[in-house]
Amino acid sequence: MEAFLLGLQLVFNIETMLVIFAAAIFGVFVGAVPGLTATMAVALLVPITFYMDPTPAIAAIVTTSAMAIFAGDIPATYLNIPGTPSSAAYVADSHLLAHKGRARETLGMNLICSVFGGLFGTLILVFVSPSLAEVALQFSSFEYFWLALLGLSCSIFIAIGSRVKAFLSLMIGLLLSTVGLDMMSGAPRFTFGIPDLMGGINFIPVMIGMFALNELMLFYGSRNEGRELPSLSKDSVFKQAPKHVKAYWPNMIRGSSIGTLIGALPGAGADIAAWISYAVGKSRSKQKQDYGTGHIEGIVDASSANNSGISGAWVPALVFGIPGDSITAIVIGVLYMKGMNPGPTIFMDGTGLIYALFIVFFLANLIMLPIGYAAIKSAKVFILTPRKILMPIILCFCLVGAFSINNSITDVWIMLLIGFIASILARCDFPMAPAILGLVLGTTLENSFMSSMLKSNGDLLSFFSRPISAGLGALVILLWLSPLLAMAYKKLKNNSHNKAPRIS
Amino acid sequence: MRDLLLGLAFMLLGAVVLTVASQYPTMASLQYGPSLFPSLIGGGFLIGGLVLSATQLPTLKRQMSSSEANAGKMFDLRSILVSLLPCALIIFYIFASEFLGAALCLGIIMFVLMLVRKTSLPLALLVSLIASLIIYFLFSRYLLIPLPEGLMNFWG
Repeated sequence: MEAFLLGLQLVFNIETMLVIFAAAIFGVFVGAVPGLTATMAVALLVPITFYMDPTPAIAAIVTTSAMAIFAGDIPATYLNIPGTPSSAAYVADSHLLAHKGRARETLGMNLICSVFGGLFGTLILVFVSPSLAEVALQFSSFEYFWLALLGLSCSIFIAIGSRVKAFLSLMIGLLLSTVGLDMMSGAPRFTFGIPDLMGGINFIPVMIGMFALNELMLFYGSRNEGRELPSLSKDSVFKQAPKHVKAYWPNMIRGSSIGTLIGALPGAGADIAAWISYAVGKSRSKQKQDYGTGHIEGIVDASSANNSGISGAWVPALVFGIPGDSITAIVIGVLYMKGMNPGPTIFMDGTGLIYALFIVFFLANLIMLPIGYAAIKSAKVFILTPRKILMPIILCFCLVGAFSINNSITDVWIMLLIGFIASILARCDFPMAPAILGLVLGTTLENSFMSSMLKSNGDLLSFFSRPISAGLGALVILLWLSPLLAMAYKKLKNNSHNKAPRIS
Repeated sequence: MRDLLLGLAFMLLGAVVLTVASQYPTMASLQYGPSLFPSLIGGGFLIGGLVLSATQLPTLKRQMSSSEANAGKMFDLRSILVSLLPCALIIFYIFASEFLGAALCLGIIMFVLMLVRKTSLPLALLVSLIASLIIYFLFSRYLLIPLPEGLMNFWG
């Protein structure tokens, strides 16, 4: 109880409340401008959060990401351009509804579903994380090795598109994680005699390069400014909402549950949660033929899922230190810098920081309602902000932000190099999330492997000697074999299908 | 075609990583040395690159014949050059900021990028000036980041 009261004190003060308010406005802005993603916003925020206390720093990230995911629906509805990838699943429905003069009604439902999904995911985070943390307290290096491997494997198997490309993207992240002095022998690896690389590669310049510089290069490589605004709707934002909520509340609960679950899987962020929830909603709907033609049901499914996915991603990040998506990958770094080492012991902390974090989650989702409403009413301002003015300013923030991490020009070089490589890979449809997970989890994977080998005198079978470790190991192997098992099952099914007519 | 080339590039990277990793010291007391993970990653690049290239080979012939006809359409040189402009301007900042100062360099970068996307001259000038000063003072005075002062030193 004392820790909870301390948590309340940490949140309900002028500084934190102002940060939450400012972050909400920033999140709306970033989300509503096409081409600026929630991950990019969070990556650009990190240099600023360096100079904040832990609670406002986390509050800024949580609020910005939640608001940006909702605000991505505004250009999706009016321009048919998703503001963030998380709005892509239902962009056709939203835009067609806007053409029928129901843009504000659609955005009103988006807002309600986003708030509901966010709060649902937060409740799961609050109630599930502490119980999971108690289990995680039993974990040793053996379990953490399998968990890291499970997270990395998930990032390949869940990725949209080619698994080979996801695998190669992961390898890039892992390679970057090996740069610096080796933990066991102290030998420098891939440092090329540069002293700044001895401590390893800081992931913030990598993130800025991968998500911000890469987007900038894509923007300058295209000639499309994307600013043909249709006439803005004047319909009511919330008038039809009670009717829709009454009709589709099961979709809201299902979408939020799917979103939280998918969000908690490493490598799967809010965008994948939205796609899966939309697909599940369509398969179970009585009006499945209406999906994609301007139907509010699909929007309810996916819009609840993407915001709950944001909260869900925090469960593995807080409990195991394994990020659920790119945003929590950044958050883990920020938590370390603020002395909140992610892992089960974070829940034993008596300073109230973990309660402050939970309260911030609730506030971030609740503040979405008034600020989101204002954003819907003033959509024109956000949509018409010219990117040709914004993008140069963002590049300068990237430059100064990367430099400010260690006050070192080496980090600017790293940002430049990674941004260049990422833009080539992005043009060839390589997913970026596995690379980020590789960079964040690579050190955990290698260190836990080496520690385990030291403890067991190099006996590889020791990874299966403890019950939880053996269970996690079996899960990883099952995941790796899943494509083969799926192929075998399909073949068996086809064979039995082919044989059936002959028998009859 | 792009995937085939990328696959080959990854294989080359894998070979380089393996070669570099093989030179790391081994310690008698440790069964698994500092070369283990880099070697596995190098192997991963080799295998992944091989699979990526191999899956492209069957379609290569078809793509080659169609790409000959569309060679002009495939590469828009202007777009590629303009997309590289942010990188070129970052390199400009790295080398010029010590002498010119961060504020001036940031202003030049913004001004150039705005003109490339056909922003009107007065607007580009005004926004670059105000934004560069805001960014500079926010980071150097408020967050105390030691950004290069360059020419600003002379102005005191």
